Amino acid sequence: MSNTTESTMKYATEGKTTKVATYCYQCVNGPDMLTVEVVDGVATKVEPNYNGKGLHPADGKVCVKPYGLVQKLYNPSRLLKPMKRTNPKKGKNEDPGWVEISWDEALDTVGARLNKIRQEGLVDENGNPKLAFSTGGAGTPLSYMGAFPALFAAWGPLDSSLGAGGTVKCYHAEHLYGELWHRAFTVSPDTPLCDYIVAFGNNIDASGGVTSVRRQADARVRGLKRVQIEPHLSVTGGTSEEWVPIKPKTDSAFLYAMINVLLFEHKPEELDVPFLKHHTGSPYLIGPNGYYLRDKETRKPLIWDLKTNSAVPHDTKDTDPAISGHFKLSAVEVGADDQVWEHVNIDADPAHEKLMHHMKSHTPEWAAAICDVSADTIRRIANEFLAHAHIGEMKEVSGRMLPFRPVAVMLGKSVNNGWGAYECVWGRTILHVLTGSLEVPGGLLGSTTLIVGPESDRMASCTPGPDGFMSYPFNPTDKANWIDKPEDRHAHQTLTPGVGAGFYAQPLGSSSLAWMRLQGRGAETWVQPKPPEVWIVYRCNPVISFSETTRLGETIATFPFQVSFAYTHDETNHFADILLPDCTDLEGTQLIRLGGTHYFEQFWDSEGWILRQPVTKPIGDTRDFTWIGAELAKRCGLLENYNFMINVGVCGLPLKTDAYDFSVPADKVNSPEVVWDAVCKAASFDVTGGKSAEGLDYFKEHGFRVKPFPHINWYLYPKMVDQGLRFELPYQERVFRVGQQLTNRLHEQGATWWDHQLKEYEAMPEYKDINKIWDDAYERNYKVKIKDFPFWLLTSRSMQYAWGGNVGIQLMREVAENVAGHSGIMINKKTAASLGIEDGQIIEIASPVGKTRGKAILRQGCRPDVIVMIGQFGHWKTPYAKDFQMPSLNDLVPMNMDLLDGTGGSVDAVKVSVTRVEA
Amino acid sequence: MIRIGSFIQKNWDWRAASNFMFGGTGSGLLLLLVIATYPQAPPLAVELIALALVAAGLSLVWLEIGRPWRAINVFFHPETSWMTREAFVASVTFALALAGIVLQMPLLVAASAIGAAGFLYCQGRILKASKGIPAWREPAVVPLIIATGLVEGAAGLLVLLTVFGGVIPAWLEYVLLGLLALRVIAWSSYRGALVASNAPPAALAALGKISGVTLWVGNVLPAALIALPFVLPNLGGSPALVGAVLALLSGWYVKFTIVTQAAQVQGYAFGKLTKGHPLANKAG
Amino acid sequence: MTRYVMIADLRRCVGCQTCTAACKQTNATPPGVQWRKVLDIELGEYPNVERVFMPVGCQHCEDPPCMHVCPSTATGQRDDGIVTIDYDICIGCAYCAVACPYQARYKVDKPSYAYDAGPTQTESKRFDEARLGVAQKCTFCSDRVDSGKAKGLVPGIDPEATPACVNSCIADALHFGNLEDMDSNVSQLLTENTYFQMHVELGTKPGFYYLWDKEHL
Repeated sequence: MSNTTESTMKYATEGKTTKVATYCYQCVNGPDMLTVEVVDGVATKVEPNYNGKGLHPADGKVCVKPYGLVQKLYNPSRLLKPMKRTNPKKGKNEDPGWVEISWDEALDTVGARLNKIRQEGLVDENGNPKLAFSTGGAGTPLSYMGAFPALFAAWGPLDSSLGAGGTVKCYHAEHLYGELWHRAFTVSPDTPLCDYIVAFGNNIDASGGVTSVRRQADARVRGLKRVQIEPHLSVTGGTSEEWVPIKPKTDSAFLYAMINVLLFEHKPEELDVPFLKHHTGSPYLIGPNGYYLRDKETRKPLIWDLKTNSAVPHDTKDTDPAISGHFKLSAVEVGADDQVWEHVNIDADPAHEKLMHHMKSHTPEWAAAICDVSADTIRRIANEFLAHAHIGEMKEVSGRMLPFRPVAVMLGKSVNNGWGAYECVWGRTILHVLTGSLEVPGGLLGSTTLIVGPESDRMASCTPGPDGFMSYPFNPTDKANWIDKPEDRHAHQTLTPGVGAGFYAQPLGSSSLAWMRLQGRGAETWVQPKPPEVWIVYRCNPVISFSETTRLGETIATFPFQVSFAYTHDETNHFADILLPDCTDLEGTQLIRLGGTHYFEQFWDSEGWILRQPVTKPIGDTRDFTWIGAELAKRCGLLENYNFMINVGVCGLPLKTDAYDFSVPADKVNSPEVVWDAVCKAASFDVTGGKSAEGLDYFKEHGFRVKPFPHINWYLYPKMVDQGLRFELPYQERVFRVGQQLTNRLHEQGATWWDHQLKEYEAMPEYKDINKIWDDAYERNYKVKIKDFPFWLLTSRSMQYAWGGNVGIQLMREVAENVAGHSGIMINKKTAASLGIEDGQIIEIASPVGKTRGKAILRQGCRPDVIVMIGQFGHWKTPYAKDFQMPSLNDLVPMNMDLLDGTGGSVDAVKVSVTRVEA
Repeated sequence: MIRIGSFIQKNWDWRAASNFMFGGTGSGLLLLLVIATYPQAPPLAVELIALALVAAGLSLVWLEIGRPWRAINVFFHPETSWMTREAFVASVTFALALAGIVLQMPLLVAASAIGAAGFLYCQGRILKASKGIPAWREPAVVPLIIATGLVEGAAGLLVLLTVFGGVIPAWLEYVLLGLLALRVIAWSSYRGALVASNAPPAALAALGKISGVTLWVGNVLPAALIALPFVLPNLGGSPALVGAVLALLSGWYVKFTIVTQAAQVQGYAFGKLTKGHPLANKAG
Repeated sequence: MTRYVMIADLRRCVGCQTCTAACKQTNATPPGVQWRKVLDIELGEYPNVERVFMPVGCQHCEDPPCMHVCPSTATGQRDDGIVTIDYDICIGCAYCAVACPYQARYKVDKPSYAYDAGPTQTESKRFDEARLGVAQKCTFCSDRVDSGKAKGLVPGIDPEATPACVNSCIADALHFGNLEDMDSNVSQLLTENTYFQMHVELGTKPGFYYLWDKEHL
């Protein structure tokens, strides 16, 4: 291989000590800035990038994870040359017979497979792409893949449905509904101004990254009160003012009771009435069939104007909309599939009145029995929330007066995904709507937009849609446009309208369904999909991180050709045919966006670009992703298209516009330096407003480059006001319609296996007993008695490990063990005593689909009916980690149609039994 | 006080414990030997055994230190370090004792006995200065270490004089009985003080575990056996010898337990909240 | 006059161990040796439970028991209060380790590495034979303090003159500075907040202050 990266790449000079600036984007909370000290060409240590002080919300610091990157470089278990499998038999107990090969042989082998697909057709007879790609880390691996995505862009149909954890281990319902309601793929309190946070299992101090930790710490010292409501006392519970140990999966009852207190134990004027009237759908009148009542001519939703005492279109100027009361009017109602009802002189209520009715029975006393939390506590927290909302106050931001509402309700994983999550995210957002604390200073903010897009400009995503609300890219469910035949293995456009069709749509589809379909279960009226002909895997380990992992491994073993970008051997690449050792974080080159607003608490007053650059020569024969991409493109005859994709902006921004032309040659295998030099030039142009166009050398020296980001762009409210848009709450007419239409479509096909999910498309979600859903699912599907599985097994975020792909890094293991739970299974001390379990004793945890073992860690900060396993373990192949003897929660998590919610998501909380293992 | 994260220290193991066991016995033995024989020269074998015990303890410690070839640095800090002082006293004791033997000057041997007493005292102070280990830093550890060293010395002397056919002073058994009584008092006041000072429960438990054996087998039974010939003279010296051996071994048992089993570290704790700049507070 | 002290704001600390990792890397400590670490403390009984994170390490006592017991004078104290160890004098008796009521001292007799396969390149580069068989502990990064001061920088303010753990702290919980300077960062924090020191009853006069607002006695 002649044209490797090494000939042209400049590395930190040997023979002296240098500091090389780069970024960490190992988790969704990045990118953060760091520097690496290099002594005589050897990376020695990680430090913050002190130049980030005052710019980066955590002053240029990085969390514990990147400190492991130095060891990651030199880990003796690292794979340093491509490898091929010589044993065609695949299985957990099969020795793959790995043999080292050259990059030429490896890429030629992969190229030949890809060319075969190109010749025979990109999709199989079922319409599914023959090429599939899986990654993890909530998309963060893209920040390590260099220009490689240009290959996928050039390729054509690609299946990304085979998730590694997403939709089970993500904030799935929050992603979808958050974006619909306020462009919030994830949400964040406006922490620097917030005074009161009610957090349902939102483990922000372990999962929110450095910027969250810093902002929350600053706020705590300033006087922020955070009430943490969760079954076990997490890290964040520890730093909170109050811990409320709620029964698992009953959060919606608590939230509904809080709404009840606000609606029924306070005078209406104590709520933010102007906000409800003018900035939400609260005044929209609801017809008898559950759809908005509309003006016959314009088909605009109607409101009742108290000034004229008449029903008028919602956008009529100078009205005083009624949000409560009963009104008589004539109007039309437009239902699913454009069904129209004409109503004359019917009784109708505004949406807010409907909400009152919907919430009436959900008193704190009702919730207390469900949540195992006293009614007094629920009532007190609701009242404190309202009292802290400062309703009526204003604050100046960037010269504009905005409502100041320093309260937030945060939800964590297992609360905002799976069954019950719709109720929770809706209930939470309702609390914000009632207090006018949505998208205003101090309140609840969206951080980024991945479904609606553009990702880099949340404000630009705020565009008008139907009925006075924002637009949303629902996949079509009408008869003419519904995609009736799945175009990928989880049928995201067919079954999950809310995920849209954008860049992140596939990863947001029901990955559990994709795996289940491959296993011949689920969607039985559809043909069982074939595995992809080529499956490319990068930075993920689904055989550890997905659900029912043992069975998942058996499925993967049936895949005909798997290419894994491999750091070390692991449980997933154990089944691969080719292993490609790519550069690690500290060896490759890439420029990515920095600043603006991102999740979770990356709220900057600047934005720009940051470079990842090699701190040393790549170890062994590992290669930069951009090099690999070009070489594969060349072998597939896609080189020109690959370069075209780079030039149009796959690397972050276009290399050619009317204002500049930094495009790379279309017909060449361009080196990483050539590509990133061009991207850097475009980025400099972007940041300086065209004043300069310095390239790679500038960024190598300075690390990053930013321009101011308007503070007012943290808040969506002013943008909504300027466009006359309302927040689409409380009533979900669109969701309801979409659900009805999708039901019609599927039933027309004779498919009833999604009916359970379709019931979730409610205009206002009914409270559901999630514990019962689980109980029924167990008894129906596994023929077991639910009383044999009396505990909820939950997981909790490990800041040290999450998304880091660093389970083989000794430093991480060592420091993680200082944090409770990293050496076994946490169980309530009294419960343990009742089961005869002592601290350190081996216990077995079982669900109907699997069992696992680990050391008991006796804790007081854990409900008696809850077991907690931190992180994701159970490794049997990954060097170093396989010796941990840590349990695998994921192998116990059932993949089951009954447990998939309406968005196709599920949850990794699981009901289990606990037994002591006799020594 | 909430004690957090106390665990048993591993820095000093059986080798360090041996220094307290053998060193205590050896120094006690030398002291009592001189008292028993001065102004005569003591039996050489017994004197050498006493010195050998002290040397064995120190040698085992030497095996434990991380940089044995720098052991000479142990002498650098007599101002405050009881370890330096112990080393000095040991050196002087050896020098005097060996000189006494070589020059056949009982006075020098007698002087070495004063060194031995100092050595025993240093051992107590070494433990007391270990602020990180609540069971060691307890001031009552000093009388306990001295008392048991003397018991072990007296008991050893009784045994060795019997073995080597030396003249056993008439008072020795009475002294041994008296020392046993003192040791019981020291032991119980030591344990009481640890309870009073909230020593780590695991340390208290480790000591509690041996308390019965220590009291009955290590002190009461030996006392009875030693006293038995007073009542039943025709039994001869054998019961007293058995009693002496038990008294000696129980001293070792106690010290081994204190050093290796009751050595829970201080752990961490919250402190009392304070307001105001520390220097301003100090001035105030 | 200078008296360097460290402050850990327990209201801020989240127990993430970033300081632990930064310290380990900056000071190239072998596996298991943590000059700086953060305790994860659980207090109370269910359901009245608290969880507190507490950074610990050498407290650089004004009256350090470790120094008093040290037979070789390897443990010393600088005029600025930093308690030091001269690796070339220390005999490795570990007396200091048992004298320290803060469990701050370690002794490692044999080379040990992250992985059984032997030292990584970083470990080879940074291996220091002088550290074997002797006592080791937090130095308050005195090398950084000294080299930073030599450049005219202010310890506790300028990262180059500040201990690595403080620089790394993502919660801004750790602070370092001169207690004798009434206008310093640490003086201000101690003037404005309530705090405690650990084991003051042992007379060590620790140079480590914990900002905290609850009594746990």
